[in-house]
Amino acid sequence: MGKPNDLVQGTLDLLILKTISLEPTHGWAIAKRIQQVSEDVLRVQQGSLYPALHRLEQQGWIKAHWGETETGRAAKVYSLTRAGRSQLEKELANWDRLSQAINLIARMA
Amino acid sequence: MRSADILRLRLRSLFQRSRVEAELAAELRFHLDQQIEENIASGMSPDEARQAALRAFGGVAQIQERCREMRGNRWIEQLLQDLGYAVRTFRRSPTFTLVAVLSLALGIGANTAIFSLIHAFLLRELPVHDPGRLVAVGDPTRVGSLSTGNVRSDQMSYPMYEAIRDQNQVFSGIFASGRAHRLMVGLGSPADEGESARGRLVSGNYFSVLGARARLGRTFTAEDDRVGEAPVVVISHDYWKRRFGQEPGIIGRTITISRNPFTVIGVMPGGFFGDIVGTATDVWVPLSMQPQVIPGRNYLERWDVSWLLLMGRLKPGVSIEQARAEINVLFPRIVKAETGSGITEAILPGPDRMQVEVTPGGTGFSYLRRELSQPLFILMAMVALVLAVACANVANLLLERSMTRQKEIAVRLALGAGRERLIRQLLTESLLLSVLGGLLGLLVAFWAGRALLRLFGGTSAVAAIDLWPDLAILAFTASVAVLTGILFGVAPALRATRVELAPTLKENARSVVGAGSGGRWSLGKLLVVAQFTLSLLLVMGAGLFVRTLRNLERLDLGYPRESLLLMNVDPVAAGYEGERLESFPRNLTEHLRTVPGVEAVTFSDNGIFSGTESGTSVRIEGFQSPPEGDPSVNYDVVGAGYFATVGISILRGRDIGVHDGPGAPGVAVVNESMVAQYFAGGNPIGKRLVTIGPPDVEYEIVGVARNARDHDLRGPIPPRFYVSFLQSRDLGTDFNVEIRTAQPAAMVETIRTVMKAYDPRLSVRELDPLTTLIDETIVNERIIARLAVVFGLLALLLAAIGLYGVISYTIARRTNEIGIRMALGARRPAVLWMVLRETLLLALAGIALGVPAVLGSTHAVSSRLFGLSAKDPATLALAIGILILVALCAGLIPGSRATRVDPVQALRYE
Repeated sequence: MGKPNDLVQGTLDLLILKTISLEPTHGWAIAKRIQQVSEDVLRVQQGSLYPALHRLEQQGWIKAHWGETETGRAAKVYSLTRAGRSQLEKELANWDRLSQAINLIARMA
Repeated sequence: MRSADILRLRLRSLFQRSRVEAELAAELRFHLDQQIEENIASGMSPDEARQAALRAFGGVAQIQERCREMRGNRWIEQLLQDLGYAVRTFRRSPTFTLVAVLSLALGIGANTAIFSLIHAFLLRELPVHDPGRLVAVGDPTRVGSLSTGNVRSDQMSYPMYEAIRDQNQVFSGIFASGRAHRLMVGLGSPADEGESARGRLVSGNYFSVLGARARLGRTFTAEDDRVGEAPVVVISHDYWKRRFGQEPGIIGRTITISRNPFTVIGVMPGGFFGDIVGTATDVWVPLSMQPQVIPGRNYLERWDVSWLLLMGRLKPGVSIEQARAEINVLFPRIVKAETGSGITEAILPGPDRMQVEVTPGGTGFSYLRRELSQPLFILMAMVALVLAVACANVANLLLERSMTRQKEIAVRLALGAGRERLIRQLLTESLLLSVLGGLLGLLVAFWAGRALLRLFGGTSAVAAIDLWPDLAILAFTASVAVLTGILFGVAPALRATRVELAPTLKENARSVVGAGSGGRWSLGKLLVVAQFTLSLLLVMGAGLFVRTLRNLERLDLGYPRESLLLMNVDPVAAGYEGERLESFPRNLTEHLRTVPGVEAVTFSDNGIFSGTESGTSVRIEGFQSPPEGDPSVNYDVVGAGYFATVGISILRGRDIGVHDGPGAPGVAVVNESMVAQYFAGGNPIGKRLVTIGPPDVEYEIVGVARNARDHDLRGPIPPRFYVSFLQSRDLGTDFNVEIRTAQPAAMVETIRTVMKAYDPRLSVRELDPLTTLIDETIVNERIIARLAVVFGLLALLLAAIGLYGVISYTIARRTNEIGIRMALGARRPAVLWMVLRETLLLALAGIALGVPAVLGSTHAVSSRLFGLSAKDPATLALAIGILILVALCAGLIPGSRATRVDPVQALRYE
């Protein structure tokens, strides 16, 4: 069980942060949201989701509290910290630059 | 804020671990439940839904572990986990833990004790301001000596000190400190003769150069050191407690020293002990008061009374090399300038005595330092060896334990624990043992250190040296503990985790243990071999030191040592002078001769093994003095019948006689070395010998005495001559009385009573049988020999235990084989021999490695030996013999157990 390679880890972080930025929620919902919005292309495994969530929490980008779902169950809800918000901006900018660069190469004539 | 959040999280995961774990489990369970609900909603049955969800989820434990890894404190958590686990396992095997911790405590404690002595004597700086800028001028080991007769450069006279103080450019201040020995301090009334206290005479700037402040009152200023001012003293904290009960009114109180009134103006703080390491000082007295506190003698005006040690504080920007250069230019310049006035020709220093030793003074002056540095280093080496042997035993114990834990380790490895993680955990166990051993060892070190200090330096040293663990000692203990923990823990940890999983997990684990221990030369056996190598070194060392001690004790001194009693008296201090003083020696000896039990009495200036010696330049008839100047020869001034009383044979001519009195021609007796060196072995009788004064005195040589050892047990006997007390001009000093009697020890009290009756005002300074005085010179050899024997035996015991353990274990594994052999007809002795052969093999391997080690390390100890070389074959053979004997004994018990194996049982035993 080695660490996920950098590209994948970085992208997952971005997806999680963005998802949480729209609405603080728990891990299950995050996975579901990502799956839905990407039209089933991106499916996050639990084995990568929860370690990533905990890592982001340790790094101070997101914070957690225990809340209640609509059905009344206890769930650990994550929200973005202020530092996390600026980290998200940075990651988005990085992603744009990276994908643009890849595009230029891939679409070379 | 981000960092605050992170910190909070870390603290939480550290201190509320169970809560955090529970939350993690809950979070994952929630996710699982949601998945199951979703599955049910899409049409599966509850059971199918659950199984599908679980399958999709993957390994819960793994995910939990990965989440845990994301927390930053993993290593602390793991360390705490390991520690808790280690404590639990130790609690389950208390004897093992106790044995291991105790042996480690002894080993680490002994090492720390020796190190604390080394630190106190050799390394620690004086507790004063900026000791690094202090510089000692003179020989820093000559703490309590005083020489007369020549200007010297290893100790200074008072006028020389004044000249150096006033003319140097390198010191911002330089003080002088000289012996006052035991002063009689009274508490006020003139009739009160007082108690003796340890005093030191110091110049007025002593405390200011050192940079030490008083705790109560004040310290000396330059004014206090002027003759004629009100005499003042400063006392130590310990003396204030001991003698004055810490009375608050001590400042301004009047005390008497040698019957002179002094005012106490200051008390020093508890940690301050002055400039001398190893002897405590109670009272500091200004130098100018020397004639009052040592009555009858004035040391302040003569250039040839050398008794002061100097210490200066370097000016900012001046280096010690500059100071050394300047002092060595200044000293000869002063001598030259004063020649003809204060310094007469007679007392000029020899050309080889013009070098002034200038060394860093931050560690103070110490007589014991030179005495002890080599013995301490030898002890340090020995004690390190013992610790190594003890570690090997603990390592073997750990190995055995890990053998029995193989199943547990295999299970954990199978469950997915990394090998590295397990090794880390086993090392944590070892370190816990060694840290516990280290903590206990600090206690051992404190007691052992004090005991050693008392052995080496007497009670005065114990009072003077503070052995409380300070930072350096704690750091030493900690590093020794950690190093030993790693040393004995690493190999067993590595070995223990190298397990074949499948075979070990099966029921029949026993047969695997054999395969896991690595065949013929297993780690355990190698450890035992190492133990025997180290033991050989220690036992050889013990043998060499014990034989050295015996050689010293049996040395022929040139006269019988068992029948002499020595006494030192000071008539001048008791008020004798003039005619009474001149006739005092003769009257006293005549009186003592009448005491029953006394066979003969004589007296001498320098005594025997009493610590003083005289020397003077001489001109010898028939001997051409070398161009550098007349030779300086040792001499003594003795009473009539000296040689007959002491028991030194006269080889030619005659003894000093009663008729060699003040009017008669001057006579001298020379010893054999003098004849050999100055008379080329010819007959010196009748030749003249002139001591260079002024005045020059001429003596006729009337006798040749056998060489006698009167100061040192080691080294060659130097040339020496003896002149008659009654013809010497040097009366008025304290002198020694030699009493020949059959039972010196028994006569001590009798003589003391007789002296009290003869004149109660006479202070008898020393009264000891000669054997006691000689023993005092070999105290260090005796201590080293005793400790070497203790360490050697300890190491042997540990090695024997180690060997016993390994052999028992090996034999237990081969029970099967033994049973077969016996069934096939092997007799008991053959089985016993088989075991003993294994034992001997290990011991001999250790010895074989040890012999070159012994031969290679001889230079370290050879200077301390006497009468035998460090490669002495007899001692080596004896040491090897002892080791073989011990090995055989260690192997005997398992061996006899092996012979009692019942073949039938053994064959059934799988």
